[in-house]
Amino acid sequence: MGSGALLAAPALGQGLVDLALPGGPSSRPTTSSFPEKGEMILQRARPPLLETPMEVFDQGVFTPNDRFFVRWHWADIPTSIDVQGYRIAVRGHVNRPLAIPLAELLRMPRVELAAVNQCSGNSRGLFQPCVAGAQWRHGAMGNAKWVGVRLRHVLDLAGVKPGAIAVRFGALDQPVVPTGPDFTKSISLDHARDGEVMIAFEMNGEQMPLLNGFPVRLIVPGWYSTYWVKMLNDIEVLDRPDDGYWMAKAYKIPDTPHANVAPGTKDFPSVPINRMVPRSWITGWSDEQTFSYAPELPVGGIAMGGDAGVARVEISGDLGRTWHEASLGSDEGRYSFRRFDMTLRVPHAGRYTLLSRCTNTNGLTQPMTPNWNPGGFMRGCVEASRVRLT
Amino acid sequence: MKGSFLNPSPGALAFGVLVFTSIVLVAIGPPTARKPPAIATASPASAPSQVAGPGSALVSVSVDLPDDIVPFPDGPHAAVINANCTSCHSATMALSQPRLSRDQWKAIVEKMRATYKAPVPASAVPDILDYLNAMSGKLPVSGSSPTPSDRSGGTG
Repeated sequence: MGSGALLAAPALGQGLVDLALPGGPSSRPTTSSFPEKGEMILQRARPPLLETPMEVFDQGVFTPNDRFFVRWHWADIPTSIDVQGYRIAVRGHVNRPLAIPLAELLRMPRVELAAVNQCSGNSRGLFQPCVAGAQWRHGAMGNAKWVGVRLRHVLDLAGVKPGAIAVRFGALDQPVVPTGPDFTKSISLDHARDGEVMIAFEMNGEQMPLLNGFPVRLIVPGWYSTYWVKMLNDIEVLDRPDDGYWMAKAYKIPDTPHANVAPGTKDFPSVPINRMVPRSWITGWSDEQTFSYAPELPVGGIAMGGDAGVARVEISGDLGRTWHEASLGSDEGRYSFRRFDMTLRVPHAGRYTLLSRCTNTNGLTQPMTPNWNPGGFMRGCVEASRVRLT
Repeated sequence: MKGSFLNPSPGALAFGVLVFTSIVLVAIGPPTARKPPAIATASPASAPSQVAGPGSALVSVSVDLPDDIVPFPDGPHAAVINANCTSCHSATMALSQPRLSRDQWKAIVEKMRATYKAPVPASAVPDILDYLNAMSGKLPVSGSSPTPSDRSGGTG
């Protein structure tokens, strides 16, 4: 496509990848120029939007830190972090405001959890009609083992006062324009105290890359990444609803099943985006990849249950008329990716479209029909994967 | 005495840590500023500072983010859009968008101005929209998709 040429020669680019997006420029540079990062798909250099190449997800259910996707809202990102001077403030509607040094956080009771971190707009580039925003394919997601301190523990140290209803999180990144809306997010107090929401300081056994939130980020298992505040340094207990821009105006979805409305719809009741939905991807080949024909085709990939575990994954080779249950890999916890594999019998050489469909432990199954909303949020439909056998 | 001073027992260490932590907390007190100061410039000559807990350590980090020097390509009003739109974000953010109508671009530019407080004068907006509209006009009209959506009739 000629449209791709616009992006063909950026200084940061080392290669090119075609994301096969149905509308608009589909080609993106790949780059290894970002600190603590290997080869990533460059969606935007400043502030960075780096997408994980799909083949990374075929290599294991945990996404290596140097391949983990990156997404920032404002370009004023600190590039130096001094761990000795860093403090996490706990303030607002509490009895004892705190400024917690990292050395103290590291000595608090810890918890470890595997959890998928997925951008609200992951796969937005596949929305039809197209919607504006970061044109991700499926790589605005990753799965890691997170180690940290329960948010509940820290809130208890500060002593939440009666009447508190929500907790708001702020970070070191700042608006480039001083009057612009600082990026903050909030969750309900009950959610904040559920024992799963965590202040993480370790990612896959190491400190996290700066671009993934070093030294600490919030982990909100089962919820979209917008809540997983990076470079967390401010925890504010609220006794009123958060009316800030990033909760009241941005990241809102239609209050409908699958956040779905008819394309073009603008007026609908909306709520802040929240729990993730089940998804699955066949990862053994890139789209339209060609293999020599053999009667048995190995089909494998990764699935996630969203806010629950993966109960089953099924594969269809006939556009959904019949489904075959895949075997599941090891269970790393309900919020983790889970591997699936099966062998599909194929009668002859040719072009095949394969579908994968995940059902989570709450009984929710990926729908065949894509959702649509003006934000391009929360895609969760069955995805197709094409392969040629010659 | 000397030995125990140099090699304090784990219990003594833990007690010391507790006392130290309490002192730090008291000394710092409640934060008054919206953003507690957290960054100090590390001396390039010394090893990066670190903090440690049981089985874990965090080491100070200093990185350089690559500069993005790709401008909006030449065309009518390229100078205007480069001057007004690239201080907050790379040109690639706009260049990678799907085909959008002039009204859709207008809504985006107005959002940048009104919501994100981009210092773009109203007088520059028509030129910026001309550029973006021309850019979008070169994109193909969105075609059909090979995904299951085709077969399920669209919206669902």
